[in-house]
Amino acid sequence: MSPITDGQIRAEVQEFWRSFTAKEKADFERRYLPTAVCFSADGRRAEPARLMWVRREREFFGPKSAVSAKLGAIHVQLLRADLAVASYPFHFAVIRILPNGKRVKVDVPFARTTQVFHQDPEGGLVIIHEHLSSGEPVNPTEMPSE
Amino acid sequence: MEAVVPDQVRQEVRKFWDIMSGKSGEKLADLYSPSAIVITGKGRQPEPANQALARRAQQLGDTTQDVSAELGELEVQVVGDVAVVSYTYQFHTARTITDGTLRQRHTLYGRATQVFQRDPQGRLRIVHEHLSAAASPKGDN
Repeated sequence: MSPITDGQIRAEVQEFWRSFTAKEKADFERRYLPTAVCFSADGRRAEPARLMWVRREREFFGPKSAVSAKLGAIHVQLLRADLAVASYPFHFAVIRILPNGKRVKVDVPFARTTQVFHQDPEGGLVIIHEHLSSGEPVNPTEMPSE
Repeated sequence: MEAVVPDQVRQEVRKFWDIMSGKSGEKLADLYSPSAIVITGKGRQPEPANQALARRAQQLGDTTQDVSAELGELEVQVVGDVAVVSYTYQFHTARTITDGTLRQRHTLYGRATQVFQRDPQGRLRIVHEHLSAAASPKGDN
């Protein structure tokens, strides 16, 4: 199996966000190991990817939700032939549905992320760890439900 | 290179917070790889660790400050000579300023990711770090 390259990781990050913003649920989910450890932007603790999928589907992938992301410079650290870390700033803007059914608009101009990619035995890349956060406090704005 | 044992990583994390809390005289910079990348609590983007460490050294040098940290459970993912550790933390600082007022700051919902890798001598070093808070710190400064 060939070692991971810088270019592969950058392409994977771009594809990840294309998939997320297009709400391609199955494609989005296959990019993670089900047991990957994930910190969402406002989560008080980490959760496994399989739980995060359920929450993101409810909050971000419905017809009344919207997701956009404008990525900044991506740092790639190639740690092993089969392991790399990508970290980058991005401008994240979402319309999400909260567990109480409220629809809110959230603009995060200084979002940051760390994603740890592992190459599986078939040569595919999967995220085994993700940490999303904001460098500044975020104030959601409530929107009309329709 | 020898695989990482989770307890060794937990020990390094405790060392990090002992230094951050002023309970250890070790140098924070010694825990990091020279090429480490970090995302600090308020940073707008990833940066080389030496830049962030210079700022932290100033804060740690403030001996008028009382600092304490409490860590949640540490989850360690090992891939050969690399380990990814994730956990929550609380971080408290208190300082009496010149007019006698006590200034306190409490980070109640801190989250940490630290990626460790063995260096050529076999010692664990932080190669990547991302610290953040799920809610704004509480306090009067």
